[in-house]
Amino acid sequence: MIMSAYQNKVLRIDCTKQETRTEPLNMEFAEKYVGSKGLAIRYMYEDMKPGIDPLGPENNLYLTTGPMTGTPIPCSGKLSVAAKSPATGTMNDCSIGGHAGIRIKFAGYDMIVFEGQMDKPSYIVIEDDKITFHDAGELWGMTSHAAEKKLIDEYGTEYSVLSIGPAGENLNFISCINSDYYRQAGRGGIGAVMGSKKIKAILIKGTGPVNVPNIKETTDRILEIFHENCLSEDNEYVFDEGTYAFLEACNDGGILPAHNFTAATDVNWDKYNGAVMKKYRLGKRGCGSCGLGCGNFMKVGDAIVEGPEYETTAASGPQCDIVSIEHNVRYNQLVDDLGMDSISTGVTVAWAMEMAEKGIHDFGVHFGNEEEMLKIIEDMAYRRGQGAELADGVKVASEKWGGTDFAMHSKGLEFPQYEPRGSFGMAASYAVSDRGACHMRSYTANEEVFEASCPPYTHEGKGQVLYDLGEFNAIKFSCCLCDLWGSVDYAIMAELLTLITGREWTEEEMGVVGRRVLNIGRAFNQREGFTRADDVVPQRLFKDPLKGGPADGQVMTEEGFQDMLDQYFEIMGWDKNGCLPQELLDTL
Amino acid sequence: MATKRLKFKKALCIGCQLCSQVCSAYKEGAYVPSKARIAIETCYDDGSLKYIDNYCILCGMCMKACPFDAIDMDKGWLHVDPEKCKGCGLCAKKCPKHVIQIRDNFAFICDTCEGDPNCVKACPHGALTFE
Amino acid sequence: MKITITMRGTLKKYMPGEKERVVEVPDNCTCDEALQCIGMNYKEIPNFGFVVRNGMRCMIYDRLEEGDELKAWSRVSGG
Repeated sequence: MIMSAYQNKVLRIDCTKQETRTEPLNMEFAEKYVGSKGLAIRYMYEDMKPGIDPLGPENNLYLTTGPMTGTPIPCSGKLSVAAKSPATGTMNDCSIGGHAGIRIKFAGYDMIVFEGQMDKPSYIVIEDDKITFHDAGELWGMTSHAAEKKLIDEYGTEYSVLSIGPAGENLNFISCINSDYYRQAGRGGIGAVMGSKKIKAILIKGTGPVNVPNIKETTDRILEIFHENCLSEDNEYVFDEGTYAFLEACNDGGILPAHNFTAATDVNWDKYNGAVMKKYRLGKRGCGSCGLGCGNFMKVGDAIVEGPEYETTAASGPQCDIVSIEHNVRYNQLVDDLGMDSISTGVTVAWAMEMAEKGIHDFGVHFGNEEEMLKIIEDMAYRRGQGAELADGVKVASEKWGGTDFAMHSKGLEFPQYEPRGSFGMAASYAVSDRGACHMRSYTANEEVFEASCPPYTHEGKGQVLYDLGEFNAIKFSCCLCDLWGSVDYAIMAELLTLITGREWTEEEMGVVGRRVLNIGRAFNQREGFTRADDVVPQRLFKDPLKGGPADGQVMTEEGFQDMLDQYFEIMGWDKNGCLPQELLDTL
Repeated sequence: MATKRLKFKKALCIGCQLCSQVCSAYKEGAYVPSKARIAIETCYDDGSLKYIDNYCILCGMCMKACPFDAIDMDKGWLHVDPEKCKGCGLCAKKCPKHVIQIRDNFAFICDTCEGDPNCVKACPHGALTFE
Repeated sequence: MKITITMRGTLKKYMPGEKERVVEVPDNCTCDEALQCIGMNYKEIPNFGFVVRNGMRCMIYDRLEEGDELKAWSRVSGG
């Protein structure tokens, strides 16, 4: 059936031939996967054969909106940016904020697919139904912020700019795509995919409509839900201090990682926390259609950034034994400008610091030294000197130099800043996530640590926690809605989807779609050859007792970890090897 | 009773553009912010956060500029007479806030939703108020 | 025994205007019992999160000692 709120149109841009074509949105896919995350993975599964080179012309880059995108449903302005990952070889779906998502919808598309590769560095401009290819000229080689500024000065603020920095141009596994200067599609080397297509920037302007039935009544109801649920006290922290709110909670909870995942609290947390941030904050910002506004625009010294988020703060602070909000801001501005993932960069540098500390190899960075850290990050972007050794992350570096036990990644994607020995389920979560170690799939710490009576240091029952939270995020990010609207539930999602699409979506169906999205992600990877054997976490979690905090002394056991995988595979209906049986694959 | 006007406090604005989306919903029958009677956005430029606040302040310059007397403010908001408006665009040129749109030979001007502005209802943190 | 109780997140509304409060509670009581002394039943608070004893997360049924600092958090939702 034709659904409203969708544009029912996919734009395919063939970079090799510099041609474009549109096709109707596959409505069967839309009904089964809704949009954004789920829809992107299903299209990737359909379009791309297994075994293709993620940096080759056969890897497509998908910008995918959801039906909620381009409506005043709060927190609906995120955009899925997906491709096969050069860093992990799995599927990779990133989520970028800013205004590109809503503008793609207003331009008339549900999804834009970039196929092939440009013959020389270029930028592509999409203005409604007009698509033009341009020589990147001197833009190629510029940092991301410099390039965005030049393009906005020329084209105007009605355009959103998606750009890469030198890290993406150099095809680094640690490379991101920026928009609005300070929003990223961050992880898994997504910037390198754009770089391999020799696309420096994508500009999007959209002036058309998004249509929904009974728009006045629908908008009235959206605003009601907005005020009652989204703007409720549960989410107040978002406007107040943004993700800084996680700092004290994670420190109290004993999952704030420090010294390359050796310890899990930092006595100095209150020297770079939300209260300190507020002294330097100049303004607040949100994404298109945001109802909350998590962005903190800060200036410390001459360093400016909209950020840093919790992940960036922890990855550049306690992980590297540095206590300085100025450093966190400086680091954030630098990695954004160079087009690098702030999580992977911090964790990789922390690993390099430990390598020097242990006398295995000195990359030129040491715990506590801010200047060395900032210097090597630039060298990583440009693949210079010792920076070249680290540009592709800890998996590649540790396979060459040793120190694999404490190279904190899963499948080649570096760990986010939640310590698994303080929240055992997170280890399984990182291991089974569809794109390598990611906390935005199944954030089990929500139940294991931030809940009054769930024991964190056990493996029993964690498979179910993993599944429930994974299912929730899978449908949420397919609608799509931003993670920070924490109090949303299936009833609200189903009601909103029904109102805007004109199709009856039920609460139960939300869970069904969520489960299906988890399955299609796994199916993509399975087809690439991934099995249970790849669902691994570093030995540090099993060998090194955690230092400090409520989880002091905790280690995990291999049996416990494998048991969590067993529980999860059984719940998913996968075999003992973590693979989907054919009957299940056929339902996707 | 004093005329109520839209007021904007930039410290509370997050640049979400829900104001334009909701305006276009009630006035244009679709979510099409390019056709809204309000256009507030924020953006980064030269290391600072800029606020571009295009909203009707009821200054009445459009009314004064109209050569056909098509615009009045009798009820406390701007009203364009479709019988008189020719879509000449002089009002749009004079508008200090750049919120008048000329389309299909007609001037589309904010009428504060006749004293009950919907943009204010959509603004997350009260950056937009009507007082 | 006397302990100090602090609220975090949206639980601050249970102690409006106070940064922290010294409270008389039964000797060696659980965190749950201590909160009941100030009228909070965690099972009836929908967004009740977790408890922290002397800066470290503990379980709601863990026991407290004289002079302890008990912090109660609302749920930290999101990821």
